[in-house]
Amino acid sequence: MSRWPRRAQYLLLIVWAVFTAMPFLWAITTSFKDVNAVQGHVTYVPWLEFEPTLEAWRQIFGGAGGVNLVGPFVNSLIITVCASAIAIVLGALAAYGLSRFRYRIGPAKNKDIVFFFVSQRIMPPVVLVIPFFFLLQMPGLLDTRLGLIIVTVALLLPIAVWVMVDFFDNIPREIDEMAMLEGCTPMQAFLRAIVPNSAPGLTVAAMFCAVFGWNDFFFAFRLTFTQVQTLPQAVVALNSSIPPWWTLSAAALFGIIPLLVLAVLVERYLSKGNLAGAVR
Amino acid sequence: MATLTLENVAQTYNPGEDPDRWALKPLELTLESGRTYALVGPSGCGKTTLLNILSGLVTPSHGRVTFDGVDVTSTPTRLRNIAQVFQFPVIYRSMTVRDNLAFPLECRGWPRSRIEERVRAVAEALGLADGLDVPASRLSADEKQLISLGRGLVRDDVAAVLMDEPLTVIDPQLKLSLRRKIRQLSDEFAPTVIYVTHDQYEAMTFAQELLVMSEGRLIQRGTPEQLFESPSSTFVGWFVGSPSMNFLRGTLERGAARVGEHLIDLAWSPPVPHGSEVTVGIRPEYIRIVDGGSHPGDASETSVHGRLVAVQDHGESRVCEIQVREQQVAVKVRREVHVPKVGSFVDLGLPRSKCLPYVEGRLATCGD
Repeated sequence: MSRWPRRAQYLLLIVWAVFTAMPFLWAITTSFKDVNAVQGHVTYVPWLEFEPTLEAWRQIFGGAGGVNLVGPFVNSLIITVCASAIAIVLGALAAYGLSRFRYRIGPAKNKDIVFFFVSQRIMPPVVLVIPFFFLLQMPGLLDTRLGLIIVTVALLLPIAVWVMVDFFDNIPREIDEMAMLEGCTPMQAFLRAIVPNSAPGLTVAAMFCAVFGWNDFFFAFRLTFTQVQTLPQAVVALNSSIPPWWTLSAAALFGIIPLLVLAVLVERYLSKGNLAGAVR
Repeated sequence: MATLTLENVAQTYNPGEDPDRWALKPLELTLESGRTYALVGPSGCGKTTLLNILSGLVTPSHGRVTFDGVDVTSTPTRLRNIAQVFQFPVIYRSMTVRDNLAFPLECRGWPRSRIEERVRAVAEALGLADGLDVPASRLSADEKQLISLGRGLVRDDVAAVLMDEPLTVIDPQLKLSLRRKIRQLSDEFAPTVIYVTHDQYEAMTFAQELLVMSEGRLIQRGTPEQLFESPSSTFVGWFVGSPSMNFLRGTLERGAARVGEHLIDLAWSPPVPHGSEVTVGIRPEYIRIVDGGSHPGDASETSVHGRLVAVQDHGESRVCEIQVREQQVAVKVRREVHVPKVGSFVDLGLPRSKCLPYVEGRLATCGD
């Protein structure tokens, strides 16, 4: 290969890197600005172009004139972690069944059932939110963490099932057949032979669940009011007639911390080669 | 170890299907305790279905399966106490070699000390004793399959050991020694072994008895010698042996087969009328090339004239293809036998006792 296509590749990659990094740079600098520094032309270099201040950060951690985001952050964390964990456990069990045993509900076979699961995500959220509202209202779970966890599980389950069915389909049946020949019940075969070999699939499913769960705004917005606020809700609540760009930026950066940690963990795990060639 | 019987067992995956298309046609079969059987047949002939019915992974749609007289037709796999080795290694990457070998015993709740002892014995027999604490994920494909084999043979109380082409992924050089190891291990506690393979050489050297299947039917069972010397059908003659048995189509004439200008003497005369179609089956190993120098055949041999069209060198032997009128005959000769030039005309000697009569694809009964 001649040098030019390679240089063109690098050039393109640099352009793309700048393009994706810009919003972060913008958010980071903005979070250290005050009202005056945001107005006027765009500035990037602290101390030279603008006087940095920690005011925005103080505000999101409960400083005067701000909204404390720690409570909503904790709420989001609890809801996402619990809902993801439950969705992964239930999803893996459901997916294993759908991958290994034949079901028939009326005319629907396994494939149709999997599609039914996935189709829950195709529906516009507005369609789901009204029944969810009434379902949570009856047992008094509106505006509670538990209620939101239940709803989030319902939203994440299709993703978990979908990812895991595909993953289990690619694990040779001989793995569980062998376990059963050796004396395991189907459940034991799943736990002792399949799960230890499924770390890659479970990781991917968990990642999807965590991202979707963490970013949910709509359902939290409609199903909680005052007691339980999630981070996306609280961030939106910061808005006023004049958008406080500095606090919004700080809140956004604060909000991506868990996903950043997750990304680093998964990346570490990936680079150890654990996601490749699970079984044989 | 148990005697396994299949009573009128059949399998169809689609209820209501035409019985001619069933994966396994109704089958009566008894597999004696402690014997080794090889199941051979082309792909899709029902070998795996038969294994799955024995192991309980498939419940047969018809018939009864018994182990030592006990009906196990609907007993789940885990309670049948069957060991199976699959075509590809089935091991748990997350465990060490030792844990992989011990897993089947732990599943059955064996005491620790007995597990340790048994794992060591199997590992030693398979030459794995030095690497017991190595993570299974670090092994080569061959070694992984070795562990699979070990897992299949580690339980010495099993009803039967099923092996589904266990040596397919193994290097040819290793196959021989592995086969010996399997024999050694299975001789020790003499389980009932059912060994599926499409390598007939493997089948013949490994098993005491062969079962030939085709299109969901058991076509013939017998010792390697029986299958070689008297295949019950042209299919078995074609499938067993390398190269396949020769079949020459002709008509019955005075107790012999008329093939063109030749009248081939048969081992026995089939009980069909004069003039009806008869096929002469003869193994390539039994045909002699009568070249100018050697003495002509005697009365126990029919002489057939043909043209040598090709010679395949198999190393230790050569296979000559000879055109006899419009039909092909293969002749297998040892390395040191002189073979005439391709294109020349040769005389073949067909020993009478080896020319078997087939009528409508089946070995004819003795008519006398």
